[in-house]
Amino acid sequence: MMSDHPIRDRPRSLGTVLLAGLLLATGCSGDGQGGTDSDGLEVVNIGFVGPLSGGAAYYGRNVQRGITMAADEIAEAGGFEVDGRRFRFEIVSLDDRYLPYETATAVRRLLQQNQTPVILVPHAGGIRVVQEMNTREPKFLLAAYSSEPSILEAENPLMLMLPPRFDGYQEPWVEVMMGRFGTRLALVPTTTAYGRAWTEAVSAEWTRQGGTLGRDHGVDYNTTTDFTGAVSRALADEPDVLFIGGPSQPTALVIRAAREQGFEGGLLIMDQAKFMEMLDIVPIESLEGAIGVYPVETYPTPGAPLFAARYYERFGADSPSPTSEIAINYQALYLIARAMTLAGTTTDPEAIRARADEAARTLPQEVRVYEVAGVTDVGLITRDVFTAHIVDGEFVSIRIPVPGGAP
Amino acid sequence: MTLFLQQFVNGIALGSVYSLVALGLTLVYGVLKVPNFAHGALYMAGAYVSYVMLTSFGASYIVAMAVSVVVLAVLGGSMEWLVFRRLEGKTPVHSMIAALGLLFFMEGTADVIWGPTFRQVPTPFDGVVTLLGVNITEQRILVIVAAVVTMVGLYLLLKRTLVGMSIEAMAQDREGALLVGIDTRRVALLTFAISGALAAVAGSLIAPLLLVFPNMGELIILKAFVIVILGGMGSVPGAILGGYLLALAETMAGTYVSFAFSELIAFGLLVLVLVIRPTGLFQKGV
Amino acid sequence: MRLPPARGVALSLLLLTAILFPLLVDNPYLVSVVITAYVTAIAVYGLDVMLGYTGELSLAQGGFFGIGGYSAGILMATYEVSFWIALPAAVVMTAALGYVIGLAALRTRGDYFAIFTLAVGVMIVIIIERWEGVTGGTDGLIGIPPPSSIGPLRFDSLTAQYYLVLFFLVLTIYVVWSLVNSLVGRTFVAVRNSEELARAVGIDAGKTHQLSFVISAALAGLGGALYAVFLGYIGPAMGGVQMTFMMLVYLMIGGVASLAGPLVGTLLVTGLMQFLQAFAEYQMMALGPILVVVIIFFPKGLAGLAKLLPERWRR
Repeated sequence: MMSDHPIRDRPRSLGTVLLAGLLLATGCSGDGQGGTDSDGLEVVNIGFVGPLSGGAAYYGRNVQRGITMAADEIAEAGGFEVDGRRFRFEIVSLDDRYLPYETATAVRRLLQQNQTPVILVPHAGGIRVVQEMNTREPKFLLAAYSSEPSILEAENPLMLMLPPRFDGYQEPWVEVMMGRFGTRLALVPTTTAYGRAWTEAVSAEWTRQGGTLGRDHGVDYNTTTDFTGAVSRALADEPDVLFIGGPSQPTALVIRAAREQGFEGGLLIMDQAKFMEMLDIVPIESLEGAIGVYPVETYPTPGAPLFAARYYERFGADSPSPTSEIAINYQALYLIARAMTLAGTTTDPEAIRARADEAARTLPQEVRVYEVAGVTDVGLITRDVFTAHIVDGEFVSIRIPVPGGAP
Repeated sequence: MTLFLQQFVNGIALGSVYSLVALGLTLVYGVLKVPNFAHGALYMAGAYVSYVMLTSFGASYIVAMAVSVVVLAVLGGSMEWLVFRRLEGKTPVHSMIAALGLLFFMEGTADVIWGPTFRQVPTPFDGVVTLLGVNITEQRILVIVAAVVTMVGLYLLLKRTLVGMSIEAMAQDREGALLVGIDTRRVALLTFAISGALAAVAGSLIAPLLLVFPNMGELIILKAFVIVILGGMGSVPGAILGGYLLALAETMAGTYVSFAFSELIAFGLLVLVLVIRPTGLFQKGV
Repeated sequence: MRLPPARGVALSLLLLTAILFPLLVDNPYLVSVVITAYVTAIAVYGLDVMLGYTGELSLAQGGFFGIGGYSAGILMATYEVSFWIALPAAVVMTAALGYVIGLAALRTRGDYFAIFTLAVGVMIVIIIERWEGVTGGTDGLIGIPPPSSIGPLRFDSLTAQYYLVLFFLVLTIYVVWSLVNSLVGRTFVAVRNSEELARAVGIDAGKTHQLSFVISAALAGLGGALYAVFLGYIGPAMGGVQMTFMMLVYLMIGGVASLAGPLVGTLLVTGLMQFLQAFAEYQMMALGPILVVVIIFFPKGLAGLAKLLPERWRR
């Protein structure tokens, strides 16, 4: 490409390397932990490292919105008490563009400049990298927002897994789908690590209950332009049920393609996709016979409608529906505040983690969007989970028992 | 057999999408040797302008597209005027970095204005047509037809108009064009404006099939480059053929091998073509 | 190959600054940012060998970076091979793959070569993602241990890793410097300036390109391997097209075919991107115009700013 345009051929001085170093040093000076603000509240920094730009920014900012909402509410209510002093949270967000190697750098920055005792990471790749860091000095509590059960395998002592693990869903879902539609399943899920783990779990359960599986026609939902080809191929196997899922919006496109091509069977939808977001793109008729995670607004707990009301009050009645991404992380921040109160410290992650179970059990009713039951030894926040099956345009709830029994 | 026909139609629809995006790119790349990665951002901007016209101003689909074409022609032209003109005589790699800068800027701007939310462009053509067991949506038929119309239009523009002929002359020999009295700066500006207009047509047509969001151009721009090279740089018929070839290869490979590997096969095809014909299928000017 | 004295003094001062850096700034975050920049810069030097001195743009550089990282990562995490064997093995592996790919890729030139290598880069990532049994798929590989000790030298602290990476960076710069000043380097430049002319004076242009491509890949492999070990993790994104384009940005902002360019560009742009994080959703909006302005007003890169230094500081 350059052959017509000779460039310089003499090596040049290394002089400006110094300049580079200087810029780096001055550009990134720290601002440190907290102090006291005008309300007389002391500040605890909470780190958030997730995708804030690029294709996954929508997801990252939803998670950020949940914790920011909780932090604002806590501050407006006069903060939370720890050892006789009153604190509020300040969310410090850094963009890792969904790249695990950027997560590592961002985490180091938060620890160095903001002394964050807690850092929230909303993707499994980043969580795995951070699991190698949070038990070394300086230690910190990793709030892991990913439903992939494998993040528990590291048995990280300073982790909280915020959403329910996804491996409880398959058994009841497969049962419902087979009962209503039949035994032939075709697969068009996303091919991310997360999607593949889900696909394995669904395939195994489908076969275990005696169904027949078509070939895997999965495509990467984040990079695919047109899903029609993959959907046509999957439908040629004449399935009764389609297993699909990835981010909500491309998932809706897959559903649209399937319905356009005359598919009338059931849809088994991975927990990454949310009904309310899909409904922005396809009508409820297209979702008939779908099974997926329950929308927050109508979730069958006393706390859920209260949360939804506060959400719309804060962001306006015409803002996008609150999703479980927002709600779970919102609730998690309250849980962390409660654990800090119980532990009597805002800085010792081990002490905070030790009281997380008690915090979950004693979380005030008004912020219990989900009825959390406790925290297991490996850090999973347990609760009953309700999922939704769409029957005649209505959400019918399917209860998923607490995985692995009561905490 | 029905599956094959269905996938053939799907492949043609996808090929029209690819070709529409690649057309504007091959024009700028072939004429000015500018590897304009920001073309993906122009395509994105074209989709957003149509979206705004349709949803906020209640314009009809055709009016929305016309406004988008005008806005993007201006945007494309100003890219040339503000940035690429100043890189004349530098290497294409310089232009590539500037194009990446423009891409970041436009994606960032779209994010600030509209947020990272995925938006859907409404279309009046949302029915489905079934023929011989093959399903195709009206919007896809529109895309296929419009792609052909656009290609023919571009061909006539290049071959039958004075502007087009000066563009062609410049593509073949920039200095020569200057010598025979062609205002090369004006032609460069026009080339970028036409490229922007083509991006607007592509964005407006394709948007209802997909979703509109700030990074939507990234999904397609690498493939558009592959198509441009596959067809032979700067060759309009090459870009069209390359687009259909790539899309059919992807769809058929997905159908009869595995969708997990369809992209691998598509890029492998390019590599294979270049090993056999190191200057693409339609070598230009030889 | 002797340095002019002024340049020698300047170099020593810079090296001293680099050596003292982690001791002066007691800031693990900054040290880790600089380590990241160093390992990336090693691969950027590789890109420059091909683009700056041989005149061909290889867009498979990110892919080779990934291959180096995965080779070292798999050897160390899965087979528990020592770092001191895994590192050279990763470099050799990447160079060998570079050789094979080069045989096909170098049939093309110019734009065709650039897109050919781009396609190769994309294919490398897809293969990494799909070859789950070996690479861990899209999850990537975790648990890559730090380099094992050599006698009393331990490499598990950040500072020690900084010096290790600095050592390889300096080695890379030395190798590139020696190369461009050698007969081989001059054949690179001859081929870049005119392939026909080079052939006329008896240079085997094919072999020259092939050699340059292999060296370029080997340096990417070295950088990638060090990155994987430093992070303790390797994932497909590290070999991605995005990585390639960032490397190209570093190189062009720093300056092609200049010894300081790759390092200057990588440090400056990495630092800039960290700085821009403060602007949240406006960061890309700000980064774009900066790149455009720099490339228009400093087409030879920011390392060219050294020209503004007094004459005697240059050679």
